[in-house]
Amino acid sequence: MQTAFRLENLSSGYEHVRVFEGLNLTIEEGKVTTIIGPNGCGKSTLLKTIGRILKKHQGTVYLQEQNMQNLSTKEIAKKLAILSQTPIAPGQLKVEELIAYGRYPHRNNVNRLTKKDEEMIEWALTVTNTKDYRNRALAQLSGGQRQRVWLAMALAQETSILLLDEPTTYLDMAHQLEVLDIVKNLNEQHCCTVVMVLHDINHAARYSDQLIAMRQGVVMETGTPQEILCADVMRKVFNISARIMEDPATKTPVCYGYDVLKEDNQ
Amino acid sequence: MHNNASRVAMTISILLLMIVGASYLHMTNGVFDMSVIDVLKTLLRIEPNPKFDLVIFEFRLPRIVIAALVGVGLGMAGVVLQGITRNGLADPGILGINAGAGAAVVIFMFFFQLRVVTADMSSWLSILMMPIFGFVGGTMAAALIFSFAMKNGHLDMQRLILTGIAINSGFGALSLFLSLKMNAQDYESAAVWMAGSIYNANWIFVVSMLPWLLLLGFYVYRKSYLLDYFQLEEDSITSLGIALEKEKIKLLLASVGLVSACVSVSGSIGFIGLMAPHIAKQLVGIHHRYVMPVSALIGACLLVLADFIGKTVFAPAELAVGIVVSIIGIPYFLYLLVKSKA
Repeated sequence: MQTAFRLENLSSGYEHVRVFEGLNLTIEEGKVTTIIGPNGCGKSTLLKTIGRILKKHQGTVYLQEQNMQNLSTKEIAKKLAILSQTPIAPGQLKVEELIAYGRYPHRNNVNRLTKKDEEMIEWALTVTNTKDYRNRALAQLSGGQRQRVWLAMALAQETSILLLDEPTTYLDMAHQLEVLDIVKNLNEQHCCTVVMVLHDINHAARYSDQLIAMRQGVVMETGTPQEILCADVMRKVFNISARIMEDPATKTPVCYGYDVLKEDNQ
Repeated sequence: MHNNASRVAMTISILLLMIVGASYLHMTNGVFDMSVIDVLKTLLRIEPNPKFDLVIFEFRLPRIVIAALVGVGLGMAGVVLQGITRNGLADPGILGINAGAGAAVVIFMFFFQLRVVTADMSSWLSILMMPIFGFVGGTMAAALIFSFAMKNGHLDMQRLILTGIAINSGFGALSLFLSLKMNAQDYESAAVWMAGSIYNANWIFVVSMLPWLLLLGFYVYRKSYLLDYFQLEEDSITSLGIALEKEKIKLLLASVGLVSACVSVSGSIGFIGLMAPHIAKQLVGIHHRYVMPVSALIGACLLVLADFIGKTVFAPAELAVGIVVSIIGIPYFLYLLVKSKA
């Protein structure tokens, strides 16, 4: 099994804050891996660091067994795409134009789209089911539509790895599943490696092959949803006593209720 | 797309016509009125009349050309600055680049005793040096502003504007201080120059700024597509494989160069760099490949018109073109502020 990412002794954070230190981790290719953990545990920081949006402090990130430091940002952009948590674009920009931005790393002539570019844009529109409003301005879209358009832009980048930072935030329940279904389809039909951060552990369990549970900058556990969604790990990671059962429809574990543990348990 | 392109072509044609119209007004009116036929005859060298030659070739034509070139430079620099800061209120004047370049040029005048008013061919070397001095000053101002506005490796927009204002008044004070130390004659030329004026324009100025304008203007136009991407937030830009900070700095230096070349011949003219891009975006939309040339032409058109107004309204007294632009610009600026709040 090839690895999408291998982190060696990785430390990262912001200017004066070290969020995590000495992290060693492997993320496999061809799978959906989701990072979960309480607020401020460093899950977004980890995702941003392996996506080179955030500069690492120390250590090495290997992207498909190549040291990321030796790759130019444009070469990296051909291998991985990141959808950030709060993407911004001018409201007058048209859906199709935004998606075409995703072709940037592949374009030689910046003023004209090639046939291949147009094919990829068409594919991204189809996969994300955004064809109907391709000519609309971004300001005219609903939150769920807009999130799918952003996803389409990342897809147009034609990468084998997709990093998603809380792709379901601010969406209602139906739209959350819509986005996650697209992600799942990409993984299953198009062999896309997906690494994402999710807040909802039930979604994480349902849509992931692997979970990474973090707390205070430390990876507490990694494993399959069945291994991670258990009372023991939930207590260690989220400080909750969770009641877990198997969803008979999806055959994945769900947390159907929980209580916060008292601080003195720590 | 096709629709958009033809609209851009249309806008550009109309603007070119307007510039020709403004130039015509500028050329025929003034202390010495001339008829169209006189102007055309002089330009086409039919029965040349030395008196007309002097007025057209030595006074009016270089002045119009300078006005147009400075307008083009400031219009383009404004598009770049608003694009990379993602802030519609950014303008070379507000960000202190004008003032920095201005201070450097005043220092230059102070030490080299250059009399702009009486510039002649013997001082051509020092005039050619002026844009370079302006560039150093402008870059220094830009470097100061950006180093103060940087936070965690990112540009903080609020700090950018605030530092810009501070740097602006700091360099302004330095220029004023130095100009007060000059002898009366130098002071007068420095004061006239600082107000943003081009009525002492001559061909040497054109020669000194034209190479910069062509070179940097072409570079900035080639890179204008990047400004489209810069309207996204930084994480998305990086994700697309754009070397964000590197490209920003290159574009910033190019626009500082453009502004400095303009400031060194015309003094500090504010508001053109603010207004021209906004008007351009109203006309041709948000794509910088189109906004850039349109903004350049609007800058040229505005400045030629403003100079015409400055020269005729209070004739025989002349109003510095920078002041005319400010009189038009301030209400427009306030309008933008009110509109952006709503």
